[in-house]
Amino acid sequence: MTSIHLLETALLLGVYVLLAGLYGLSYGIDRFRHRRWTQFAARAFYALHCAAAVSAIVWTPLYPGWKLLLVASSAAIFFIPRLTWRFLERTHTGEVHS
Amino acid sequence: MYRSQKLAIKYMVAAISLFGVMTLAGLLSAYYYINPDFLFGILHFNIAKILHIDTLVIWLLMGFMGAIYWFLPDELGREPIGIWLAEILFYVFCAAVVVVAVVFVVVQYGGSDQAGLWLVNQGRKYVEAPRWAASGVVVVMVVFAFNVIATAISTRRATGIIAVLMIDLIPLVVLYLDAFPAITNMSHDLFWWWWLVHLWVEATWEVLIGCIMAFTLMQVLGTSRRIVETWLYIEVALVLGTGILGLGHHYFWIGTPDYWLGIGGFFSALEPLPLLGMIIHAIYDAGTHHMKTTNRPALYWMMAEAFGNFLGGGVWGFMITLPQINMYAHGTQWTVSHGHFAFWGAYGCGVIAVAYLMVQKARALPQVDGQLWKWSFAGLNLGLVAMVGALLVAGITQSMIERATGGSTLQAYIAGQESPWFSEAMILRFVFGLVFSAGYALLVYDLARLGRRRTVAQQTALAT
Amino acid sequence: MRFDEPAFWRAGAISTIFVMLCVLVMLTVDSLSAIATGGSHVPPYTVVNKHIDYVYDAARGIDVPVIGAAQPLFGHMLDDRTAAAMMDKGKLVIQSRACLDCHTIYGNGAYYGPDLTKAWLDPSWEAWQSITGTSTREDAMVKFLMDPVQYRTWTRTMPNLNLSEEEARAVVAYLKWTAAVDTNGFPANFGHVHTDQ
Repeated sequence: MTSIHLLETALLLGVYVLLAGLYGLSYGIDRFRHRRWTQFAARAFYALHCAAAVSAIVWTPLYPGWKLLLVASSAAIFFIPRLTWRFLERTHTGEVHS
Repeated sequence: MYRSQKLAIKYMVAAISLFGVMTLAGLLSAYYYINPDFLFGILHFNIAKILHIDTLVIWLLMGFMGAIYWFLPDELGREPIGIWLAEILFYVFCAAVVVVAVVFVVVQYGGSDQAGLWLVNQGRKYVEAPRWAASGVVVVMVVFAFNVIATAISTRRATGIIAVLMIDLIPLVVLYLDAFPAITNMSHDLFWWWWLVHLWVEATWEVLIGCIMAFTLMQVLGTSRRIVETWLYIEVALVLGTGILGLGHHYFWIGTPDYWLGIGGFFSALEPLPLLGMIIHAIYDAGTHHMKTTNRPALYWMMAEAFGNFLGGGVWGFMITLPQINMYAHGTQWTVSHGHFAFWGAYGCGVIAVAYLMVQKARALPQVDGQLWKWSFAGLNLGLVAMVGALLVAGITQSMIERATGGSTLQAYIAGQESPWFSEAMILRFVFGLVFSAGYALLVYDLARLGRRRTVAQQTALAT
Repeated sequence: MRFDEPAFWRAGAISTIFVMLCVLVMLTVDSLSAIATGGSHVPPYTVVNKHIDYVYDAARGIDVPVIGAAQPLFGHMLDDRTAAAMMDKGKLVIQSRACLDCHTIYGNGAYYGPDLTKAWLDPSWEAWQSITGTSTREDAMVKFLMDPVQYRTWTRTMPNLNLSEEEARAVVAYLKWTAAVDTNGFPANFGHVHTDQ
């Protein structure tokens, strides 16, 4: 791997996970605030996360197995905030909050 | 207050003190990169680094023990069995740490024989402490495990959290036995060494901090036991489900078969997913409680734990975990960047949260807030993040120049180290290390003075 | 058991951990035989009697160690017992002087000094033979290790760790052996400059 490919690939992978986190963060905020901008932010971050995945697949020299893993992980990442939130609401039913 | 809780306070004081030693040793280690002739012939980088990483392990371990000794009697409804022995061993532990540190600084190296390993320096990363001290650590941990397990069995009320803790303490102690061998074959040595290091910091310690955060959440946010236990089991399943075979990401290049590239890379690539769930959970808790709590610093440090863990372990880890990248990033400042961020996020923030909780309860403070903790929080977190950023630049430079371009020879190594990107990044790292240190000083001051200066009205109110 | 009950996730945690541990144990048993000296990835200590090289293997797509013709170390061929004793000593020296708190081997250790995995094969030793007034690579390495301040490599000077000649020879032998271990291609392209063009 050339040094430029190393830099690009590693940074893309970091951005890939960071955007997943930002998607989760904005999804959570949206569940409380229900504003248009929070909903937009959640969708935008997930779209950017997918763009990072596509970039990694198209432009990096990663082996096919790892590219497949990125695709599968992106699919899982889409559902993680939703499923987690639903499970949190279900398990917290009846909790008294201050 | 239970004796166990008084012991907990002592452990936490020792932990926070060692945190300071770690920070000083870190500053010294960082300074050598800027001025390599500093203390040449007197004290060298490797000794400063040993002090830095060994106090890292011990301060966190003491912090965990302090937290457990604090929560245990309330959880089980009685004084832990054998607490008198733990009280004695605390002082023995502290004395041993001091002796080991003094020997590291003054004697530094032993002979290349068993006597040197038993008395001076074992030279294996994180577990350099001589065997006599390692034996002492085993005794302390066995007694700690006994305090927990024997008490839980005697009360016959092992809660879910206690049950997870009890089971976790057994591998925690057994794995530490790898602090003793001196295996000639480096591949063999490193194979087992990684069982200790990885299955501590990416497995048993994760479960331990999970238990501690479960106790803390119940007190800081009033979350029900049923909820924290459910989430503890989920966390254990996900973290150990990915982390046990994620051990393989340390087996890429040590002479092990190449199937570890696939297995280790795959499972460690999954490790960020549970951390994403942890972020969601943190946001849910923050939102439903509107960040209202009687202990704001504890809550904020717990939030920092969730986000720091995700960024340091998840984002930074994912950059370098796939084998094709790791081939070039392995053993560079990139690793250092990830390591600092991950340790801070996963463990440092959590122990500080517990320290604030303990201060509140020990001094019967109805509310913990103020300005000072915010400055400390900012200094420590901004200092750490900026250090990590500088190390990232240095690590990328090193990987690109020394490894990907230069062919990893001595000359390639020197070319990487002498690149302006690298050398300037190391200067910035030191500067932000000073910022971090200032944050630490404020933390110590805040913890020490919280609730000490009460008004007459407050004192009267407390007395009645 | 409903999925929102703790018992469901407790069962999930126990079964997940059990399965992962079983797999880990099986892979450990296999790996331990591969990394034993004389195993598939780790040569016997007597490999120090041979010429060692590190060459690109097109089939595997990585650099691999190549064991060549006889090349005595310090002018002598070592039998199994002597080689093992030298390795034991070398590893004890590396531990006692905390070498891996400045350097790395297989990338594990500290990063203040260079990685030593292929130090035996480093092209710089040719120049160090004339600098140290020696005629072989191993003698140049021994001279350096016994007085790294006199034979400093660059501005970040390696300190003098008071190695005896026996200890220095043991370390050199150890480093010749580590250079022969199959590390799945780490470090990549050793000794070759690889530009982006």
